[in-house]
Amino acid sequence: MKKILSFATIIIILCVTVLYALTSGSLPITLSELFISLLSGESEQLAIIKDLRFPRIIISLFAGASLAVSGVLLQAVMRNPLAEPGIIGVSSGAGFFTLLALTFFPSLFFYTPFFAFIGGAFAFLLVYLFSWKSGLNPLRMILIGVAIHVLFSGLSELLQLTNANSMMNSVSVTASTLTMKTWNDVTVISIYGTIGLLIATTLFAWCNHLSLKDKTLKNLGFNVNRARFVLAIVAVLLAAIATSIAGMFTFVGLLIPHIGRTFVGNNHKLLIPFSILAGAWLVLFADTIGRTMIAPIEIPASIIMAVIGGPFLIFMLRKSDRIYGN
Amino acid sequence: MEINNVSFAYQDGLKRLKNIRGFIKQGEITTIIGPNGSGKSTLLGVLTKHLQPQSGVVTLDDKLLTTYSLKGLAKKMAVVHQQNDVPSEMTVENLVYYGRLPYKRSFSAYTEEDRSIVEWALTSTGLLSRKNDIVSQLSGGQQQRVWIAMALAQKTPYLFLDEPTANLDVFYQYDLLKLVKQLNKSYGLTVVMVLHDMTQAIQFSNQLIAMKDGEVVDAGRPEKVMTEETIEEIYGIKAVVKKDEKLGMYIIPVHTM
Repeated sequence: MKKILSFATIIIILCVTVLYALTSGSLPITLSELFISLLSGESEQLAIIKDLRFPRIIISLFAGASLAVSGVLLQAVMRNPLAEPGIIGVSSGAGFFTLLALTFFPSLFFYTPFFAFIGGAFAFLLVYLFSWKSGLNPLRMILIGVAIHVLFSGLSELLQLTNANSMMNSVSVTASTLTMKTWNDVTVISIYGTIGLLIATTLFAWCNHLSLKDKTLKNLGFNVNRARFVLAIVAVLLAAIATSIAGMFTFVGLLIPHIGRTFVGNNHKLLIPFSILAGAWLVLFADTIGRTMIAPIEIPASIIMAVIGGPFLIFMLRKSDRIYGN
Repeated sequence: MEINNVSFAYQDGLKRLKNIRGFIKQGEITTIIGPNGSGKSTLLGVLTKHLQPQSGVVTLDDKLLTTYSLKGLAKKMAVVHQQNDVPSEMTVENLVYYGRLPYKRSFSAYTEEDRSIVEWALTSTGLLSRKNDIVSQLSGGQQQRVWIAMALAQKTPYLFLDEPTANLDVFYQYDLLKLVKQLNKSYGLTVVMVLHDMTQAIQFSNQLIAMKDGEVVDAGRPEKVMTEETIEEIYGIKAVVKKDEKLGMYIIPVHTM
């Protein structure tokens, strides 16, 4: 019952936020006006909203959903509630490789998601290999992840400082970039995002299995390594696509799964769909607040999220100590 | 099951098993005993394919252990480890359902057959009334029963137990061993386990394998293996072995002041 209620609530909140995001901003429009112009087709207002607001909203939704699910998957793979694409360096690895590609091969702009994926996978591999020796000790893994994250962020900033290329202003390594998004971006993130999210949703059973010990799973004839490998690839794909289109977001992958566990439990059959909805909502909400609060100045969504998310996470942790059974 | 000249060393190069030979009789309970560091658990690890021996082979039903696939082996043997992490929120029934995993393909659902086997496993371990309880909230003895129920649901002819009575109080120790004995008798399950307590090993086993320093000191019927000489040799303590008409064999370690 609580679970159904949680789903209903998040769906309603998400819809309301989408409608609010559509109608507010530097060009206000009422809902009825929006519908009328949508139905009648041509209107100057609609054209602007269609080109500026729609892509931004869709990208926010996909970026949020992808990052949240990426967090869920990484937490399952690494058996660590703190694993998250931002914290363990997957996102900054993806960001750095995107930047690298744009610096040296600006003509390959449309392949940036591919470079982002390579970068994210590389960062993940480093974290995994370095923490393997300690038997994937949770603390050690996070420390190594933080080191990898700092390394790639530093490299990215270095690259940006030494190459004042205009192309690169569109990729930031420290903040999200949701302004000036085009329908091309929408196409890329919606195709890869949908694929990644669909695969993740169907793999819920594997995520559940990984809560048992490796030894036990092996006794049950379950191929732990294959499951880990596939889940990690999907997680990196989701994080990479979100980073390459929407920029760096830390936190979504940590905050959303955590909230999800409190509301719908640890069963990934529910946790993954819930994280899709809640992640999509969180990024859209942060972005909408950011662009409407002190308009015309825009505050990047990632900054809004950090400011709200930090205290909120502490609040959640205090409430839910039992979840990880200390 | 046959163990042929098995030697094993961890990465530190220290030999934990030296030319082990042995035979596990079908339908019987075989217990591996020996002091700490004697290689008991290592041997169990080799028998369950968790550890790969550097030399020697293990055969299971006339096939080399190495030729079994992951799933194939999971249909032959079930293993209960000494310490098991219990996922939070997991109910008894759901955990026992994991025993059906070897028979499932990645995305197939549970069938009526799975359901009846899970119910049978729960009934056999006396857990049917507790099937909706959260595993992590049960006592240690009950949790160990749940893991055995999961192993039963695997429907394997072999059951391996690594120190199943560790960390349990004496009531649950006997409770658990009686359960193992009963499963062995009712279903002809071949059981291989590691135990610390000599008296329990005698009381519940058909065969003993006594180990010291990675070698088998003696193997066979408990009456044959558990002599005062062997006990002194493997554990380094003096003990009196007595036989009582009603109670059977029992061992009292003696200490000289």
